[in-house]
Amino acid sequence: MIPFRVQLRPGVSLFEQIVYAATRAMVAGQLRPGDAFPSVRALSKELKINPNTAAKVVAHLVSVGLLEMRPGVGTVVATLPDSTARERTQLLDQQIEELVVEAKRLGIELDETQAALTAHWNKLGGTEKPAGTRKGDS
Amino acid sequence: MNAAIRTENLEKHFGRTAALDGVSLAVPEGAIYALVGRNGAGKTTLMKLLMNILRPSRGTAQVLNADATRLAGKGFCGIGYVSENQQLPDWMTVGALLDFCRPFYPTWDRALAGELVAQFDLPLDRRLRQLSRGMRMKAAFVSALAYRPRLIVLDEPFSGLDPLVRDELVDSLLELAGESTIFISSHDLAEIESLASHVGYLEEGHLLFSEEMSTLSERFRDVTVTLPEAAAARADFPAACIDVQIAGPVVRFVHTQYEGAATERQVAEAFPSALSIVYDPMPLRAIFLAVAKSQRDRARLAQTNARTVNV
Repeated sequence: MIPFRVQLRPGVSLFEQIVYAATRAMVAGQLRPGDAFPSVRALSKELKINPNTAAKVVAHLVSVGLLEMRPGVGTVVATLPDSTARERTQLLDQQIEELVVEAKRLGIELDETQAALTAHWNKLGGTEKPAGTRKGDS
Repeated sequence: MNAAIRTENLEKHFGRTAALDGVSLAVPEGAIYALVGRNGAGKTTLMKLLMNILRPSRGTAQVLNADATRLAGKGFCGIGYVSENQQLPDWMTVGALLDFCRPFYPTWDRALAGELVAQFDLPLDRRLRQLSRGMRMKAAFVSALAYRPRLIVLDEPFSGLDPLVRDELVDSLLELAGESTIFISSHDLAEIESLASHVGYLEEGHLLFSEEMSTLSERFRDVTVTLPEAAAARADFPAACIDVQIAGPVVRFVHTQYEGAATERQVAEAFPSALSIVYDPMPLRAIFLAVAKSQRDRARLAQTNARTVNV
């Protein structure tokens, strides 16, 4: 089983979606340094994607240093540098942009949008910190 | 590029009907090539030509670097072929079928055959005629995949099968996908989309396009233009824009040659008063429908055989 959530949308590059989902999982602490990352074969079979695409995903994550190859073990999540809150926020960039575009399209003002955001935030409750949070996070 | 399949101007006539006309495509080694198109477009004819079941009227086809018309006997040892209404020896049991096929293929992998049989829950002692459609197709798959063929040719393998069976068949293909080339025709566009690396669209015997799935996805966009008031019909849409629909202030069309900012500028210039212009990527099924409808509408307009237009 893939140890992180991937909801594939048709029409958008599979490669991008999976890289994003994996990166997000790592930065959010769902995948921790040293955790085994699914093999190309496992990715391909579980997500029902072309093995070449799966291979490209793994190769890319290795090349940007998020995964490393351990002989005899396979691909594992690399020891991540402390991710700052800023880096984690950047992952949300696309959703935030979509939210802003939609709000403007509907003629909703910034303060109304912020109020709605706050309401939802509180509704979902809890202030669980992800496992990767470090002391002195800015 | 090493092509597992290459055709050049392939033509097939049946009497005066051109079932295939000027089909030129190349399937790179290791690719998963999805051949899509409406019923009767010529997909089965193309596959039969590749498997030397039919002879071309004109043009050439190369399969695994050999002329398709020379394909015979041992040449098939590296090819696994399953067609939609696969004829199987109904009186044989599943086990007998596999025992029968095995000696023909030097690369038959007993362990793989065993794994596939287990994964598919195939009852070795049941006669083929007693099996459901899905089970029959699974049996056909085992007999075609057990020898790890370099080329796998599948003509509508998922037709009429329930989602679980389709899932299991796709899994078995993914086992071999790394080492083998897969050429598959299917109406199951959702399934095919994440599997296929390449796609070709056949329309009345003509190949409208044949390219990498990624480039196809990148150049098609569903465009929604919202204008300040009811839109007037206009006839100046470039050929690259198909499936134009207008309802009130909203104009929707499919752009087939989307190139990012350059295209967005052109569209913005064409609709200077637009309140918003939204570009949505399209899944394969939506692309198929847009192209098919566009072709159908052209045919109706022309009231003759459809003229093919490059999309």
